[in-house]
Amino acid sequence: MTVKVRFFARFRELLGTDILAEEAGLTIADLVKGIAKTKKEGYDAIFDEHGMFREFVIVMKNGKRVETPDAAKVVVADGDEIAIFPPVAGG
Amino acid sequence: MIRVQTEDVDIGALIAAAKTSGTGAVVVFDGIVRDDGIVEMELEAYEEVATAGMEKIAAAATKQFGLLHVDIVHRIGRLRIGENILIIVVSAGHRPEAYAGSRFIIEEIKRSVPIWKKELTTDGGRWVAGEHGHGAGKPS
Repeated sequence: MTVKVRFFARFRELLGTDILAEEAGLTIADLVKGIAKTKKEGYDAIFDEHGMFREFVIVMKNGKRVETPDAAKVVVADGDEIAIFPPVAGG
Repeated sequence: MIRVQTEDVDIGALIAAAKTSGTGAVVVFDGIVRDDGIVEMELEAYEEVATAGMEKIAAAATKQFGLLHVDIVHRIGRLRIGENILIIVVSAGHRPEAYAGSRFIIEEIKRSVPIWKKELTTDGGRWVAGEHGHGAGKPS
């Protein structure tokens, strides 16, 4: 089983992107935590002191927004693409 | 044409293509890199989602304002001061719809399309804060 995790903007600079994870049965939150904890600054940018996604962090699964509280419940499946990014600033 | 791309675009050609049958007004929005004491600007997108989001916005604007033609080109990569960032060309039968449709599109892009800007300065760089706390639309 393979899930791709994509970080964008500041989160990408801190943690890299297009990271392939193979561990099965994880929630989105646990999957992202496992990757982010390799670099404290990256982890702290995304998660608060209680291990919850920070209020402004945006989570997507296969291009669709997932509310951050739900990301602690939704289990990833083979082929999923998870995206984590800060508020958008285009235009 | 709805695109996220590195290349610039020929705005004159877009205007010509927007003059479809029934057109009485064409409105062009051209967002450019402002000289805010920066060296360059770097833009990054979640490309597939950004393109799909802009297609959805164009369809919504077409329906809501009766637009006849919509082009949206959002550039990414490194851009110098004065370069085009975002070009929106819309046509409609009359100016109120064309202006309103153009305004709707730019505001929706700023609110929801996953694109980010980093201002590059002589001493490093800073990510531009989003105007909207959440962005990327509502959960679906």
